[in-house]
Amino acid sequence: MGADEDYDYLFKLVLIGDSAVGKSNLLSRFTRNEFSLETKSTIGVEFATRSVPIDSKLVKAQIWDTAGQERYRAITSAYYRGAVGALVVYDVTRHVTFENVERWLKELRDHTEAYVVVMLVGNKADLRHLRAVSTEEATEFAEKEKIYFMETSALESLNVDNAFIEVLTQIYNVVSRKTLETVDDPPAGSLPKGETIVVGTKDDVSAVKKSGCCST
Amino acid sequence: MKRLDDYEPGPVPSPRSLDRFGFVKQDVTPDGLVKSRSAYEYERYREERRVRKWRKMIGVGGSDWKHYLRRKPHVVKRRIRKGIPDCLRGLVWQLISGSRDLLLMNPGVYEQLVIYETSASELDIIRDISRTFPSHVFFQQRHGPGQRSLYNVLKAYSVFDRDVGYVQGMGFLAGLLLLYMSEEDAFWLLVALLKGAVHAPMEGLYLAGLPLVQQYLSQFECLVRENLPKLGEHFSNEMINPSMYASQWFITVFSYSFPFHLALRIWDVFLYEVSAFHLNNHILSWLGPIKVKLPFEKLIHALKNFPENAMNPDTLLPLAYSIKISKRLEELNQEYEKKNGKIRRCGDFSENPITS
Repeated sequence: MGADEDYDYLFKLVLIGDSAVGKSNLLSRFTRNEFSLETKSTIGVEFATRSVPIDSKLVKAQIWDTAGQERYRAITSAYYRGAVGALVVYDVTRHVTFENVERWLKELRDHTEAYVVVMLVGNKADLRHLRAVSTEEATEFAEKEKIYFMETSALESLNVDNAFIEVLTQIYNVVSRKTLETVDDPPAGSLPKGETIVVGTKDDVSAVKKSGCCST
Repeated sequence: MKRLDDYEPGPVPSPRSLDRFGFVKQDVTPDGLVKSRSAYEYERYREERRVRKWRKMIGVGGSDWKHYLRRKPHVVKRRIRKGIPDCLRGLVWQLISGSRDLLLMNPGVYEQLVIYETSASELDIIRDISRTFPSHVFFQQRHGPGQRSLYNVLKAYSVFDRDVGYVQGMGFLAGLLLLYMSEEDAFWLLVALLKGAVHAPMEGLYLAGLPLVQQYLSQFECLVRENLPKLGEHFSNEMINPSMYASQWFITVFSYSFPFHLALRIWDVFLYEVSAFHLNNHILSWLGPIKVKLPFEKLIHALKNFPENAMNPDTLLPLAYSIKISKRLEELNQEYEKKNGKIRRCGDFSENPITS
């Protein structure tokens, strides 16, 4: 992760989708340009960041990578809070991971605001001979759901940057439009660094709800 | 047995150098680990003396263990806290966890589970096999003995306990055990741990809703606030919730990302003394030195990447023991159970917890 604390916008993204579709490698490819065949299964959550220039502003993406197994939703759902973008990932060689996208979208929409920018990502596109989900099928589905769509290969570094940057750009467009419309909001760039956030109120952005547990 | 069909080619085995536990070496050797020859010899001498003591204590194949434990529980506790000799670790773990008794009481059961039963989790397990300790030489070879054993243990457990089935993270427990014992022994130790042969069952780590993970996280948050108030306040200002860094620790009982020598020492005491107390104790002792002023991302990073020199078991563990929280934790337990209900238990093996 970068030491850069200078940025104009901080956007929180989540990476969701079935187990072993390549979420963690998409994240490491985007944030560190690394790919590994020896990746451990993600347990709980991980996160990484990368800053990219968009429209002469520096946008910092804080990306949360979650465990894909159903049972983990008990603890991962908290990470949706405050997310303004999501990449819903499936594996183009396993049709069932594509079929489950609908459930992931529902999960996402139950936990986030309506303006969240969503991209459907068909990963492992390098495995051409094993493909089980056609580009047409996925495109059609994405159009129906009104979400963005891209096929990627974390291994070949195909479209990975494009996918993330497209999501960030779309969020940026929403935010800058919103800034223009709202007089009350100061221009984002003038806020103290580290607090430059984002669509909605501060409460929406809070990463995880504080749970009152101490009785004292 | 099912075919282990992955979708990605396995890592190409290359003659990389391994550490003493069989993990592929990282590039950096921490300074603290380079020892002079005389220090090394002294250590070897001490280790041999320790092994002799331990052998005497447990007897041939563990025959004297129960007798010794009844007579001198304080000696056992003290010696375990100093670390179980590596060559006896597998056997001692089975003795202190009560898994040896389960094995003897259930002949043939494991074989039955592995060979004749089918599990709904088989595909899920297969998908994670090559993603469990991928940097350890025993688990690197595709369809090799390590991967096969890991699959068998996890499959057997998912059949044995269909409520839990298979949950990601269990593989790291099973993998750790398999480095020290046979498949069948590892299976019964997993059973002893999750079903509670000696201590309270820990199956709540993996049951639907992960209730025990939630409980530990909630208690842990309170303990941080009470014992490290400055850090606790900083955490809440930065909106850092323990589930962001600690859920992984609890779910895998520290076997996922910690330096292996430290994980082993934690498991020594964890298996012997009451589990949750220790888990929390250890984490509190690690958090102590964390810089309070770090901003959100750096803080999470620091929490997930403790410096190697802060990970010396001989300094960390005594520190952990010195934090007295067991009474408070007991109170928090009761409060939590009052509020959320007791975690559902099924199929208890024993109701006699050893208290330290």
